[in-house]
Amino acid sequence: MEQLLEILSPHFLLRNSLYAGLIVGFVCPQVGIFFVLRRMVLLGIALPQVSNAGITFAFLLCTIGFHFLPHMESEKFMALTGSVFFTLIAIFILAILERRRKGFTENRIGFTYSIAGAASILFVSWNPYGQTEVLSLLKGEIVSVPDIYLWLMIAIYGTIFLCLIGFHRSFVIVSYDADMAITIGKKVVLWDILLYLIIGVVISFGVMTVGPVVIFGFLLIPAITARMITRGILPFCIVSSAIGTAASFLGFYISYRFDLPTGPTDVALLSVILLVSFLGKTVFPWKKIS
Amino acid sequence: MNADLCIALKDVSIGYHGHPILTDIDFSLKTGEFTVLFGPNGCGKTTLFKTILRIIPPLHGTITYGNTHYPRFGYVPQRQTLDEIYPFTAGEVVLMGTFGQTKPFCPTPEINRTWVDQCLKDVGMLEMKRQLFSELSGGQKQRILIARALATRPTILLLDEPITGVDIIAQRKIMELIALLHKKHELTIVMVTHEIHSIPRWINKLIWINNNKVLIGNSRDILAPLITEEASFQGALWH
Repeated sequence: MEQLLEILSPHFLLRNSLYAGLIVGFVCPQVGIFFVLRRMVLLGIALPQVSNAGITFAFLLCTIGFHFLPHMESEKFMALTGSVFFTLIAIFILAILERRRKGFTENRIGFTYSIAGAASILFVSWNPYGQTEVLSLLKGEIVSVPDIYLWLMIAIYGTIFLCLIGFHRSFVIVSYDADMAITIGKKVVLWDILLYLIIGVVISFGVMTVGPVVIFGFLLIPAITARMITRGILPFCIVSSAIGTAASFLGFYISYRFDLPTGPTDVALLSVILLVSFLGKTVFPWKKIS
Repeated sequence: MNADLCIALKDVSIGYHGHPILTDIDFSLKTGEFTVLFGPNGCGKTTLFKTILRIIPPLHGTITYGNTHYPRFGYVPQRQTLDEIYPFTAGEVVLMGTFGQTKPFCPTPEINRTWVDQCLKDVGMLEMKRQLFSELSGGQKQRILIARALATRPTILLLDEPITGVDIIAQRKIMELIALLHKKHELTIVMVTHEIHSIPRWINKLIWINNNKVLIGNSRDILAPLITEEASFQGALWH
């Protein structure tokens, strides 16, 4: 109880990490619902890996004396630039190939995952100075989040959340029935581009904050769980974010209480919630409304 | 131009990626007409239908809509094309019909909710409003999709294979519903089908697509020889 009150205190030393985790837990599931509904779950695995490759590449460039943003001192911003750059390029190439129906989706995503994973390891192995930071990212240790980074996160994730809420109808209709969307005057390609842009930015920032494995967990597990236990799109969206936020807070508390890495604790907790929901659904199935 | 003209196709070619499926299509539909697009599977019915809906651009020729403005389409897709992973209730599916009239960042206006209820009532599905769309039967889903099309407040209702894959009783009910909507709302209706027996005798126009040719006429002239041909085929199967 004492530790819980300590975490909730505004003077708590790791408060920025807690807030950053809560933001990720709240906003990522809203993006994740489109991964689940559009059956792009595999992309949810591959893109964080691509983002990770971007981060390691940025560190490597920095070591050999090249900087994306020379006026920026912080390593976090440098890594963020690499992350956003790689993720957006990958997502748009994958989207274009998907639209042109070149080859099989699974093959493309599998290839992207493998090459991004291999590239990340190679970039790290060529750059011994970046190893500690990248390993910390991979483990999902949310320890140091500077104030400026937290404010940037609030601004970007806040804007993304507002976009997802405000344009919810358009995103839903172009995802569910693109033909119908065209007949009511929606520009399907533009809405798809905006959605991909949002996905790219959310993943880039999320990977920087909690690491690739954890971001995958927050994108998909809350949405998969909510899909199982809700009826209707509105409860689905609300419950997804509620699960993500609750898991983020409880995960942080457990990791602080028992000295565990926060990210993996969050994912383990999300998995427990998923398992309990599945068992609950199996034991108490929905009755059809008559 | 004729004041009653709803859609006119002039020298139109349709297809995908520059490859024509059908060429030299010329016909027009009048306001309030019930037209059936009929032909075997894979003949290009759905491509023509989607070209009329402006989902696919024509490869050649011009399509004009009425005299002054672009009409409001009520589109009923083949229900199999909709993914059941989406946890929509029947009411939410119908509400999509109003999305073209609702501004971003605004909550759904009460008037739209009332309108959705009215559309559900028109198709006899109001009591199913809170049921998950994925849990409905084929015939019920089709009714919900018709309600969604009505929710767009259409001037033209376009239905793509509305009775395919549903049992004979549901087929009859859906056809009765479409006929009722045609009369009640005085809608221009275009229906795609490959099932010869689902075509009502009283339709205004039949567009038959076969062997890359488009034939236009009334149902009696086109269907009579086809029904005779099918009857003799069925007879041959039985004997």
